Amino acid sequence: MERREEMSLENLILLTGRTINQGVALEGGKTTKENVRAAAICTFDHEDFKKLDIISGTPVKVSTDFGEVIVYSTISEEGPHPGIIFIPMGPWANQVVNPDSQSCGTPTYKGMKAKVQVVKDGKVLGALELIKTLIEV
Amino acid sequence: MAVRKIKTVYDVVCPFCGTLCDDLEVDVVDNKITEVRNGCQIGTKKFFASNPSEHRYKTPLIKVNGSFKEASWDEALDKAADILVKAKRPLLYGFSSTECEAQSKGVELAEILGAILDNTASVCHGPTILAEQDVGVPTSTLGEYKNRADLVIFWGCNPVHAHPRHLSRYSEFVRGYFRKDGRNDRFIVVIDPRNTHTAQIADLFIQVNPSEDYGLLNAIRAILRGVELDEKEVAGVSMENIKELADKVKSCNFGVIFFGMGLTQSLAHHRNIDAAICLTRELNDHTKFLITPMRGHYNVTGANQVFTWITGYPFSIDFSRGYPRYNPGEFSSVELLLKDQVDASLMVSTDPASNFPAASVKNMFKHPLIAIEPHETPTSVNADIILPPAYAGIECEGTAYRMDSIPLRLRKVKDAPNGLLTDREILERLIEKVKEKKGE
Repeated sequence: MERREEMSLENLILLTGRTINQGVALEGGKTTKENVRAAAICTFDHEDFKKLDIISGTPVKVSTDFGEVIVYSTISEEGPHPGIIFIPMGPWANQVVNPDSQSCGTPTYKGMKAKVQVVKDGKVLGALELIKTLIEV
Repeated sequence: MAVRKIKTVYDVVCPFCGTLCDDLEVDVVDNKITEVRNGCQIGTKKFFASNPSEHRYKTPLIKVNGSFKEASWDEALDKAADILVKAKRPLLYGFSSTECEAQSKGVELAEILGAILDNTASVCHGPTILAEQDVGVPTSTLGEYKNRADLVIFWGCNPVHAHPRHLSRYSEFVRGYFRKDGRNDRFIVVIDPRNTHTAQIADLFIQVNPSEDYGLLNAIRAILRGVELDEKEVAGVSMENIKELADKVKSCNFGVIFFGMGLTQSLAHHRNIDAAICLTRELNDHTKFLITPMRGHYNVTGANQVFTWITGYPFSIDFSRGYPRYNPGEFSSVELLLKDQVDASLMVSTDPASNFPAASVKNMFKHPLIAIEPHETPTSVNADIILPPAYAGIECEGTAYRMDSIPLRLRKVKDAPNGLLTDREILERLIEKVKEKKGE
């Protein structure tokens, strides 16, 4: 396999959901660094993560048909789940989820097709900075 | 040295998740929480977060030229009422992290304003309610499961993370009247696309492909009816595994399915729940089987109850014609914001900026925003008016409904700092102001 400077993975499925760290962090303060550490993170299956050839904590760009977001990366404690990536619920995950509800009112927060690209110098934004990007001036 | 007096409050109900644990012990010294016993990590954190801190608002705030300025309650409520009265299609959203009395005031305000009224069920278990309205639901209270269940299925939920004490209080480890040996008397099944921490302590883990639960639910139903499926696998699960599961669920004495966002937030939404409820109903031809949703916010069930007994509908209600109309596909907050059909919002104890898809959040910020919120959140920081309340369930009493629709009385363990008003009082005063302005 040809070795590239910054690896990427395609055809992944993105799931989102509660984690206990994210729950603790949001009760402790949504604008804190703890919340960034807890929720601005994408967890990978062990074998998928090897393919990225990075160390845990390296920023990655997760893209779906609905947007993109830069988050930290790590190996899932809840694997193996080849082909699946997971971002805890919160503002970071919500940049890339599918807002369509198929007319039932509830957006499709789980099961988006996603692409991941390593961006070693990428900046993971705090909750407030991230949300600011959505405000039209 | 002055002796500091510790006040201990017993049997405190935890206002975090739908498990609504009611056995917490909280120590308070000088109106500050110093110790929480029996709570999970998240619940405990919530109690400590109610102590005064740099993240907690102390007075009402009004945004003037891009920065917040302190205001009196009267001034802030007056401005808020102005915004709501002027709006053509205001949205009142949240209500799941507050008590039932405040929720009923929310309904009253929505009716007076002709507003959209919605609670957080519309982004979590809304599909569950839709399915229950379609096909009914065979369900029970958590106490029955604790005492009787010998087979427990967790489908698309991860209580180790989301409802940390559910397993030890009701569903897995706890000893019940007919389940004297606790965990050893129960067979635990987890069905999930990930080998979650809940799955890691189960007896049987079935790894289903993401978004394919509907197929698996119906494959189990087919096998239970004796139909041979001409497939090697369904939704990534081998036919042998599906048959093994079907045998297990048929042969238990008392089974229960707990399900979560894995079913409601994936592509098939309410159709998943529809199939899960039908499966549960059909299992009663063989044995006793029930189903219960793992509700998230501590009083989202209460919000559905209160909204239903006043308006007839549990969430996503439109009052614009003067009478309540219900159509989640049209009136849910996310859908309305997505189509930019809201021109002002009042957010009650919720943080949609964090929890709604980006496209909806963008439109929310285009219009005036009022936040009833004790803490700094991405929503409140970008709001026009912040009305900081006392913490319901910590600084004021009230009623909340557990995930199995059991009402419990929340306790007050300390006073709110600075004499902050409760959610109910804020809404009551808003109603008065709005009535005044509308000349009613």
